[in-house]
Amino acid sequence: MKTWITALTLASLAALPTAAPAQAPAQTPATGTLSIGFGAEAVMMDPSRSAAGVDQYFFGQMIEQLTRTDPKLETINWLAESWTLTQDGGKPVITVKLRPGVKFHTGDPMTAEDFEFAYERQRDPKISKWPHLLAAVEKFEVVDSLTFRVHFKEGDGSFTSGNLILWALPKRHLQKVGDEEFARAPVGTGPWKFVSRTIKDELRLTAFDDYWNKEHRPTVKNLVVKIIPEDLTRVAAFKTGAIDWIDAVPPAMVEEFRKMPGVKTGSFVAPNNMYIAMDAVDKTSKFHDVRVRQALAHAIDVDAIISKVLFGQGERYVQVGRGSLGFDADLKPYPYDPRKARDLLRQAGYPNGFEVPCYNLTTPREPYQKEVGEAYFAYATAVGIRCRVQGQEYGTWITFGRRDRQGHIDGLYSNMWGHGLPGDPGTPWAGHVHSYVRGEGWGITSVHDDPELNAMIRELKRTMDLDQRADLIKKIARLKQERVAGGLPTYRPVVTLAWRDKVTFTPWPSPGFWRGMQEIGLKQ
Amino acid sequence: MWRFLTRRAWQGAISILGASIIIFLISRLSGDPILILLPNDASQSLIEETRRTYGLDRPLWVQYGIWAQKALAGDFGRSYRWEMPALRLILERLPATIELAVFGLLFSVAIAVPVGVLSAVHRGGWIDRVGRVFAMLGQAMPTFWVGLLLILVFAIHLNWLPAFGHGTPAHVVLPAIALGWYPVAAQTRIVRSAMLDVLDSDHVRLSRALGTPERLIVWKYALRNAAVPLLTMLGVYFAAMLGGAFVVETIFAWPGVGRTVVEAVFSRDFPVVQAGVLFTSILFVLSNLLVDLSYGLVDPRIRDAR
Amino acid sequence: MRADGWLPEWARGLPWLPILVLLAVGVCALAGETIMPFDPNELDLGAAFVPPPWQEGGKTAYLLGADNLGRDILSRIMAGSRVSVIVAFYAILFSGSIGALIGMVAGYFGGPVDAVLMRLIEIQQSVPSIALALILAAALEPGLWTVVVVIVLTYWAWYARIIRGEIMALKGRDYIAFARVAGVSTPVIFLRHLLPNIFNTLVVLATLQVGQVILFEASLSFLGLGIQQPDISWGLMLSDARQYITNAWWAITMPGLAIMLTCLSANVFGDWLRDRLDPQLRQL
Repeated sequence: MKTWITALTLASLAALPTAAPAQAPAQTPATGTLSIGFGAEAVMMDPSRSAAGVDQYFFGQMIEQLTRTDPKLETINWLAESWTLTQDGGKPVITVKLRPGVKFHTGDPMTAEDFEFAYERQRDPKISKWPHLLAAVEKFEVVDSLTFRVHFKEGDGSFTSGNLILWALPKRHLQKVGDEEFARAPVGTGPWKFVSRTIKDELRLTAFDDYWNKEHRPTVKNLVVKIIPEDLTRVAAFKTGAIDWIDAVPPAMVEEFRKMPGVKTGSFVAPNNMYIAMDAVDKTSKFHDVRVRQALAHAIDVDAIISKVLFGQGERYVQVGRGSLGFDADLKPYPYDPRKARDLLRQAGYPNGFEVPCYNLTTPREPYQKEVGEAYFAYATAVGIRCRVQGQEYGTWITFGRRDRQGHIDGLYSNMWGHGLPGDPGTPWAGHVHSYVRGEGWGITSVHDDPELNAMIRELKRTMDLDQRADLIKKIARLKQERVAGGLPTYRPVVTLAWRDKVTFTPWPSPGFWRGMQEIGLKQ
Repeated sequence: MWRFLTRRAWQGAISILGASIIIFLISRLSGDPILILLPNDASQSLIEETRRTYGLDRPLWVQYGIWAQKALAGDFGRSYRWEMPALRLILERLPATIELAVFGLLFSVAIAVPVGVLSAVHRGGWIDRVGRVFAMLGQAMPTFWVGLLLILVFAIHLNWLPAFGHGTPAHVVLPAIALGWYPVAAQTRIVRSAMLDVLDSDHVRLSRALGTPERLIVWKYALRNAAVPLLTMLGVYFAAMLGGAFVVETIFAWPGVGRTVVEAVFSRDFPVVQAGVLFTSILFVLSNLLVDLSYGLVDPRIRDAR
Repeated sequence: MRADGWLPEWARGLPWLPILVLLAVGVCALAGETIMPFDPNELDLGAAFVPPPWQEGGKTAYLLGADNLGRDILSRIMAGSRVSVIVAFYAILFSGSIGALIGMVAGYFGGPVDAVLMRLIEIQQSVPSIALALILAAALEPGLWTVVVVIVLTYWAWYARIIRGEIMALKGRDYIAFARVAGVSTPVIFLRHLLPNIFNTLVVLATLQVGQVILFEASLSFLGLGIQQPDISWGLMLSDARQYITNAWWAITMPGLAIMLTCLSANVFGDWLRDRLDPQLRQL
């Protein structure tokens, strides 16, 4: 009798509807194909072997990290349920607890061993192009299947500010199929599964039904990513309906797109920070004198350039961009003041100005880069820093920027630094503000030498606590601004995306630099 | 005949070999692909390591030897940029270039023949003048400019034809016109002068005297004879199309070899540059061989003299 | 009575319009700065995308409109003529001289020398010239002199082939044979007997090449491996204007017209010259 009643009770309990979750989970429809267009494509789809940010456009849809930046530009825990930073005998330790129940596309569960495997790969110089990012790690300890600890020799800020560096790679699957096959058809924990890829043509993905995040996921079954590098082609494809979402609307056409009926646009800051480098190290360089550097800062009307040359598709930044760690709203840019610029030059001993070569990158890594450079140098010429403009295409330009190739830049050099979204300037500053130290990796693109800044940058590298980092970054930024050290910052490019009304899209900044198809779908 | 052919084939092979050496040397001088491949702040040791992996630290003649040996076996190395075999990258795109060249040639012939014939028939008349001016204009306009204008007018303003890409038959129209525009002048001239020669000949005079309708004379007999010099030169024009394709493909985003090679030059992707230029050279040499062959068929004196 | 009956014999039938155009280009190249309405490199962001005066929004100051950075297109076209003239002059001078020399040597000496040189010519012609030019330009770092070098290395073979043919025909003439028998040294034969006879051909070839050189340089600059800033070239102007094709049709059209008019004039003039000096080259 008792068992009979228990069974009935249990059965009726089981028949009760389960409590509705706080938010109805988005369902992946059984059908539906959405075609979108990118202006650039990945070169390498294996995150360990990737060297270029553009690679994230592809593998970022399929492979995920421990933390992530959300649409509000806040860093949230992602594959990590939680993580802590502690000290162990003076040496930092990061303890990560993984989210349970996350599966790879193959069905294998995600465990700490997968991250150990990713760690090994990423620090192997035969595989990875960024082994130095993990150089400060002493040991990787797997505690249990969902917990691991990273023991550091010394502090390394790039770890905590870089979404904890590691990507979730399927150890069993990768070891089975090998590096080549994995790079051809990546497997991860992400919302999209790889279907096929034709180089220079398209990437096909299908929604992963067992995706762990039920709240933020795609709501269309299939995704076709067409690769159309030529601006006008991409725009034409969008206008004719061949694709329903494009990235990088050409700045000259943004107005037109904003007015287009049935089309939504979104403009976002791209994680690239443009600046003008000038040699302050060499004593014979005219820019050794801080007054000359400040003169240049007053000479260039960045706002006019953004408005006229970039059609408004740019955002002024002072040292650290809005939304990045250490952004200081109180730090103001040098105002456009050509008269002051000429005064400063006079004080520095150049009443009639002087001539310098000015190196302009002509290959458009960012839209209208060449034209912007021409504008910079025209403004400089107008106050007396007479530019002999020399165009350099990418191959020449990149060699020219490296101190181990080119000893000394004898004039102005148009440059840029970038580091993820929202971005942390630590590593880039180590590259172009810290003075060049042969063989050690500091200042590989630097033309500045300021011992006080050097010391602060080294300290920044060791600082892992994010609040402490933010404070230190602000201090460094102030000094950088006063002394116009490490170049004159100008603007951050803005990228505009466009999609049809029938497409629902929430822009996720990373990975993929706003091309993350985390939440995209077709209206039913 | 056979001796002639084998001799020309040998010469062609040597030309291709020589071309590959020259391209190899020059492209190796054009810059460092490693710096472009690696991130900005890559350390010196990483750069050196990568250079060793790609075999770029060996002396030039050794590198060439390795490349040539592998090439003969069909292995043209891997693209530095795309991590896929260079040969596949090129071969996948070769058909598109050939397609474009063929359509470009068809377009130019389709214009040159009627204009040339009409010019000859109405020699000195207004058609002749207009035809000559039109032909001259063609030779004075840069191919890429023609392409840009075509895009501006037919794709952007009138919206009749797609501007870029590859897929439907409509896609090949504008690129073919841009490509075929330049040779129209030369071809028209050839047709015209050949027609003039034939129309003046005794045979034609006789036919006329016998009452054969003019239309038949012009379009059947004269044209057939006038076509000979044009046909023999087709190989040359096809080769010229291959050259022009580099620029046209870039403008129209046509997925052919030309565009791939242009991009590869910019990114110092040596294997792709080598493979791409090699195959274009082979096509080039084959077209020229075809010209010699047809000349040889037409005029025995030429083949024996060479 | 012909309308130009009052002109001397050699001047009759002169293609006046082309000559005027070529002279205009030359004048711009030599004395451009004095007649240009604006400094061609002067930026004025306020004047960006000003259309030509006959269109709404145009200003008469900018006769052919302004480009994306507010620079006057007419002034830039005038400045671009300098590059065209310099490149054409030096490229033709050097490729013609080198090509003619090689052609003369190959044609005169024949035998193994000829065989080797012919192979070289064939090798050079088995690569599409634009491919060769691109790679060379990337290797030598793009710029005006690189363009000249590239054109010379691409076009010498064309001269060489034709001159070789001419020399081979000349070689059999009696007076050449006499000169050799008389012990005249080879350089003297080249200079005194061969060169004067091919001179007309060379002149015609050079004039016919002007158009080709201009187009070639424009293509190279368009692709980004030719003329670099701050030098101004018509091809480079077209390349810059390409991304604004929907905003500024005049930036795409005007420099192209400049190229076309110059080329056309050079070709017409070259044809006329050929008809007068060396009609046998008609099949070129």
